[in-house]
Amino acid sequence: MINILPYGNNALLINFEQKIDAKIHNLVKGYFNSISEFEEVSYQIPAYCSVMVVFDPVTTNFKKLKSKIEKLNIKPDEIKSDSKIIEIPVCYELEFAPDLASLAKEINLSSEEIISLHTSKTYDVYMMGFLPGFPYLGELPEGLECKRKATPRKQVKAGSVGIAGKQTGIYPTDAPGGWQLIGQTPLKIFDAAKENAFLIKLGDKIKFKSISAQTFKTLQKNGK
Amino acid sequence: MANELTLTFLKPGLQTTLQDNGRAGLQHLGVPVGGTLDSTSAKMANQLVGNEEDVPVLEITMTGPEILFDWDALIAISGALFELFCDDELIENNTAVYIKSGSVLKFGKLKSGCRAYLAIAGEWKAKKWKGSVSPLLQAADATPDSIIQKGTKLKIHSSFLNKTGSWDENKHTTILSQMVRLRVTPGPEFENISREAIAKFFGQGHKISQDANRMGYRLTTDLTSKQESTEMISSGIIPGTIQITGSGQPIILLKDAQTTGGYPRIANIINEDLDQLAQLKPGDEIWFSLE
Repeated sequence: MINILPYGNNALLINFEQKIDAKIHNLVKGYFNSISEFEEVSYQIPAYCSVMVVFDPVTTNFKKLKSKIEKLNIKPDEIKSDSKIIEIPVCYELEFAPDLASLAKEINLSSEEIISLHTSKTYDVYMMGFLPGFPYLGELPEGLECKRKATPRKQVKAGSVGIAGKQTGIYPTDAPGGWQLIGQTPLKIFDAAKENAFLIKLGDKIKFKSISAQTFKTLQKNGK
Repeated sequence: MANELTLTFLKPGLQTTLQDNGRAGLQHLGVPVGGTLDSTSAKMANQLVGNEEDVPVLEITMTGPEILFDWDALIAISGALFELFCDDELIENNTAVYIKSGSVLKFGKLKSGCRAYLAIAGEWKAKKWKGSVSPLLQAADATPDSIIQKGTKLKIHSSFLNKTGSWDENKHTTILSQMVRLRVTPGPEFENISREAIAKFFGQGHKISQDANRMGYRLTTDLTSKQESTEMISSGIIPGTIQITGSGQPIILLKDAQTTGGYPRIANIINEDLDQLAQLKPGDEIWFSLE
């Protein structure tokens, strides 16, 4: 059920069944939370169905840490969900959604149908990666699945909301990127100037809400 | 003696940054670890001037800066070997050197290695973000003192004793060479990678391409003649991870790399060999061997 592999000489990788699935991800969160208490662990990278555990090789080793992790005996159903739902306002209007029209053609839906599907679900935060504060959210409703752009953009604006594969995500900062951009949020989901720099964390639940360009501008102004 | 010292960068160098041990503990939020790439050399420089090991140092890459000192200081430079001048007088690497108020420290020709570390006795007045001065690419404003540009001024509470620190001759120092052997352990996707690619990975030298920075080194070799299955669910990556990209080229991840990736991880360079890796530059060659 879980496979603990050595990774270099100061880390190990916990692999679960390699599948994007809420139950498997519950295990990821369970192990991540329990291992956070281990003093010999310097950091962890939880992902969809794996946890990278980096340890201090002076105080422990692969064998010791592996057996300690095996003793945790975490069961997916016993993990309490204390996750909060964060509502993210998104403007899906043309000027904020450079790929919406072309994507609609590609997946045979209207722009309105894409927006309605995208806002219909509450998404799990499966992983934070790629950029500081970038949340990988899943899974997209059926019908919204799509390919990445053949040529990634050199610059995607902070706040852009994209979809790719079965996932959706939000760009925390300006960055290059290949996801299909269907909207933009005025919220700063990563703000290094704030004590609480990260709006979204692993385990949170995300719901998107469609807003007008007018509301976008008001919220953006208030955010500054 | 103690006083407020200001360093003024008359020339910034190619890539000069203020670095410490980085910020372990935020990687679950997608924040790279950061920090000095050749940490042994950085520690050595700090120790030579009598600083604690985790005091910030300047990481200097391939082309060094020119720095004006407005007060007396005790400095040491370790790691890559540059021709070093203080007011046009040659000074030595790997030893503590007194710099007089009003002097200009100049980095000349790079003789070997890639990254040098400049430590200054005392306490830096540099802004930290989440416990570290190391610059974060995506939030440069959070550590405004750490990316050196022409005209940048950095303040240090310069303080040193007459007795300088020393580096135990028997202690490990980073080897500077243009051809190195780095030890690896097999990565989690090793079993899924073709024998042909694995034979090529271990059976030849790999040159470092021009696409080499603090995030990673792309190698020039092509491990796969045909497109191998590169589909995998994204998972964690750490400094030293070697991925095979879609084009078949290996890429080695360093401390400023992203924390997750979706390419197969063929191997991991062991921690002890990461310092040597940091001293390689484009054109240098790596041979991998199993640890």
